[in-house]
Amino acid sequence: MAFLNDEKKLEIITKFLLDSPPGEVNDVYNDLRSLMNNPVVFKEGVLTALEQYNTEQFVTVTPPGQEHNVIISKYGQIEPNIFVDPKSHQKFRFDHMQQVATDPEPYEPDEATEPLRAALETAVQNYITDHYPDGIATVYSTQDSTLTIAIVDNKYNPDNFWNGRWRSAWVITPTTGEIKGTVKVNVHYFEDGNVQLNTEKTHDGTVKIDAENPETAAAAIAKYIHKVEDDFQKSLNDAYIELNENTFKELRRALPLTRHKIDWDKIMNYKIGQELAGRE
Amino acid sequence: MSAIVTRIVGKYNLNPGMSTSDLSKYTSELLKDLADDRKRNQARRRLRDGFKFSEDQGDQLDCALDLMRRLPPQNMEENLSQLIDLVPHLQDELLNNVDQPLKVQRCKVKGRDYLVSEFNRDGDSCRSPWSNEYEPPSIESPLPSSKLRRLEIAANEAFDTYREMYYEKGVSSAYFWDDTDAFAGAVLFKKVGEDGRKMKGAWDSIHVFRATERGRNAHYKLTSTIMLYTITDREETGKLNLSGSMTRQTEADYPYDEPQAHIANIGRIIEDMELKMRNSLQEVYFGKTRDIVNGLRSVDSLIESRKQAEIQKELVSRLARREKDSNKSPAAKPNRSDT
Repeated sequence: MAFLNDEKKLEIITKFLLDSPPGEVNDVYNDLRSLMNNPVVFKEGVLTALEQYNTEQFVTVTPPGQEHNVIISKYGQIEPNIFVDPKSHQKFRFDHMQQVATDPEPYEPDEATEPLRAALETAVQNYITDHYPDGIATVYSTQDSTLTIAIVDNKYNPDNFWNGRWRSAWVITPTTGEIKGTVKVNVHYFEDGNVQLNTEKTHDGTVKIDAENPETAAAAIAKYIHKVEDDFQKSLNDAYIELNENTFKELRRALPLTRHKIDWDKIMNYKIGQELAGRE
Repeated sequence: MSAIVTRIVGKYNLNPGMSTSDLSKYTSELLKDLADDRKRNQARRRLRDGFKFSEDQGDQLDCALDLMRRLPPQNMEENLSQLIDLVPHLQDELLNNVDQPLKVQRCKVKGRDYLVSEFNRDGDSCRSPWSNEYEPPSIESPLPSSKLRRLEIAANEAFDTYREMYYEKGVSSAYFWDDTDAFAGAVLFKKVGEDGRKMKGAWDSIHVFRATERGRNAHYKLTSTIMLYTITDREETGKLNLSGSMTRQTEADYPYDEPQAHIANIGRIIEDMELKMRNSLQEVYFGKTRDIVNGLRSVDSLIESRKQAEIQKELVSRLARREKDSNKSPAAKPNRSDT
């Protein structure tokens, strides 16, 4: 067997880290660290992988001196480890390994979009409070005068062998009312096994935006997202019912058509019966 | 098998206090004698589990298996092959300990489908349970003894009937192999669902047993893994993939008088196990994971339900207070204006 070079090894390590189930990136990291015998290459490569993991998975952190949480995502990323907290108008340094924020500095908001951004922040917060038990949302001013809403809700319960994460991201173009989004849900259940739910739903639509009134516009956007996410969740629940009642049942019966368990002493007779039936 | 390891451990006076490098000298000598791959790996496992040898190796294997229990089961074959690329020295242990989805192959002699797994594979050749021949031919590869082969033929017929009754379609295969003072085997089922409503499903059962004869009774130890894949891709839901595997173990004693009785006994144990596991899978897949999703986000208003809960709590405490008051002074009850 050909041995892999370090570059190829790092590719696999990165892929495994990015595939970590919700709340288990540290476990995956520890497993990989004890499997790899070259700590230098491992350490260097792993930091880039963790940066990607943290921003993709909407890891949250409390910015220095603040009481609220902010989502670490590419929408608020200035440098690999410098992130914006749009709410407090600050930027800070983020340690991708330790997941802590330090060195706050003032950060000037985008003047043109800030009124709508701030209004949307309040409207989205109201929505989150009403529908996400542990939800965290961050509203960013993003490039080309767009606004981006990131939402995350995590529930970790490793003692009962499960972890879950809901992520959604919505990009709004205020001038056209275009709204594009993605919702992703991941669940890991691991008692005596490894069962995972992975979903990804994209959405593309438009919302009427009152350019004169940021509060009205923000409420309309939040209402729109609320409806799309409700519809998605309802159809996800419907899909569960259908998978259970059709797909699962068609794979294997709970009992044979006879409604009795097999009489193993007579099983060879069944065989003969079937052969006879096949001939008719 | 365990007897051979125990004997060698005794012969060289091996003990857990020895260093890994010292032990490995004997390990290689031991392993050289064991031609059969499966036996070699059983020996390794026994060395590790029974005598706590080679802790480093054992720890690494634990980490690799822990990793496989966390990575998405949706890409488990790819994950496993990449993990082996990372830690090639653990290849045998990983292939032996991680169940992979079963593959279907057509028996060239009998024209019948059978399942390919680590239990009937030797190098690049696979043994068909219907013809007992390796495809492509492989002269050196292991075969069950003629006595065990007769039992294997009967088992394949019986479990094919079982498959028909529970799965209707699909493929089944049973593979037996001789083991010191016992025999062991694997009973496999695979069913791929029809793609009707843009929903797909696949079910793989892997039952591995070991049978030990004890006078008129036989003792059976069974390890079962079921892999279940369900996938949908629809406009409203988007891409949904709910997949994975569960493993359970059981042990049982049954009377046996003739060799054929083993098949009925193993059949009963597997049938009970599949029924239990089917219920667990249903509960976990379509109950637990759905509850977790609905715990991450609530369609109903949380503010509203918190209010409702408070009103209810308030009502309950008022009722309780009234109950207490009325119990204290029953005579005053008729005069109270608020009753």
